[in-house]
Amino acid sequence: MALETDLPVHFMSQATAAAPDWDAVYAEQLPRVYNFFRYRLRDEALAEDLTATTFEKAWRARARYRRDLAGFATWLLAIARNVAVDHIRARREHAPLEEAEHVSTPGTPEEDNTRLSDAERLRALLARLPERDRELIALKYGSGATNRAIAKLTGLSESNVGTIVHRVVQELRRDW
Amino acid sequence: MSDDFLNVLRRDPPAEFARRLKSRLHALDAPAAEHRAPARAWRWLATAASVVALAFAFTLPAVRSAAEAFLDYFRVVNFAGVAFDPQRMAQLWSSASIDLPTLIGGQVDVNELRLPPPPVAYSTLDEAGVAAGLRLRTPAWVPPGFALTSIEVTGAHGLSVTGNTEKLHTVLDALGITDVSVPAALDGQVVTIEIPPVTRLVYDDGSHQISLTQARSPVITFPAGVDLASLAEIGLRLLGLERAEAYRFAQSIDWRSTLLVPVPATAATFHQVEIQSGTGLVIETGGQAREGLGGRGGSLVLWSNGDTVYALGGPGRATDTLQMAQSVQ
Repeated sequence: MALETDLPVHFMSQATAAAPDWDAVYAEQLPRVYNFFRYRLRDEALAEDLTATTFEKAWRARARYRRDLAGFATWLLAIARNVAVDHIRARREHAPLEEAEHVSTPGTPEEDNTRLSDAERLRALLARLPERDRELIALKYGSGATNRAIAKLTGLSESNVGTIVHRVVQELRRDW
Repeated sequence: MSDDFLNVLRRDPPAEFARRLKSRLHALDAPAAEHRAPARAWRWLATAASVVALAFAFTLPAVRSAAEAFLDYFRVVNFAGVAFDPQRMAQLWSSASIDLPTLIGGQVDVNELRLPPPPVAYSTLDEAGVAAGLRLRTPAWVPPGFALTSIEVTGAHGLSVTGNTEKLHTVLDALGITDVSVPAALDGQVVTIEIPPVTRLVYDDGSHQISLTQARSPVITFPAGVDLASLAEIGLRLLGLERAEAYRFAQSIDWRSTLLVPVPATAATFHQVEIQSGTGLVIETGGQAREGLGGRGGSLVLWSNGDTVYALGGPGRATDTLQMAQSVQ
């Protein structure tokens, strides 16, 4: 699920012709942004709200996005990242409230029980991570971004991203 | 153990949520087509360089057969800033007993005016480079979250003007500036300004934009022997500088290679920097200046490398903009 390799399909065929197929881009990118927020924050309803905020910002600005369309997914994640940071900052400035958990998972009851349990365990583990580590995990496993894309987004080197993610995954695996 | 456990949080977005959001986005389409007006401060920063070039050119009184003169050239190698007081300048210009814009408009003889064509968007740097006749350079470092979102090239443009010292005296008299000397030998001379294609790369994080402009140096051609320092002194006086200050400044600059950028003293600060083996100029609105601009600040770095001039500006602090400028390669 490399952001910079599978996204451009909708763009590359049209980059020099008509406008991109924004509906197709939307369908492709929505799960990535949505899951980024699911991993980044604990509140599921909040994940929807911030996903909506991210797409609204990108949608308004998309007329300016005329080239380097292969990097659109990275750009979209940059917006999502800023939205998350703004939210976390605002939350800290106000009285912190315990984030509610609203997990809804379609499937059979047995599958749901197992999945719900695993999801809760992972949420709890992620909640204990430092902000930076949690963001890297959210980018890597929530949005499916490559280490290169994460490096662009965060300003870290690609090798540094790989090292940090490897270490955090080992810690999570140990505690799982 | 594999990393599969890290995927257990992944879900498809609820269908109803996806549908509602998509509808909401389509409802935003009208605003999406609008272009944001640049911030007041940023608009000033972005146009400062071109304004000073044109202002300088219009102060050149020239009237002599260019064909009989040896031509001299101005190319941008260095940048220098000069602080001026916008209020003082406004007072100066409002003190004129006549309608100065009309007067100036009638005094400048424009032989040829080629307006800049609308910018053309390109999908790749290579295509834009070919259109601009320039090997485009890009920053190796951009602030986290920013990505290249557009490439535009504005075609070549320029103008050719003539004037005469008598008319320039009329303007100066109207402003009450009677203690400058206008070189009489400049009569009848022609000045041309050629601005090669200008490329603009825009980096965007969804909320803010950083713009990297690059072009071969504008070339101002004028007859040899023109006393540029005297003409520059006139230009500085038109900005509202005191006589002694204008004289001192005019004598200290190499006017054949230095582009002077007037900076409103109440709105921005500036300083020179060494950048890519040349002298660049950093302009920043911030602190009190930022407040004076309604909280909208920004920074601009101007520099040249070889025969190419660069302007990099955005809403961030000068340190970030300078770091990005230093990485352009």
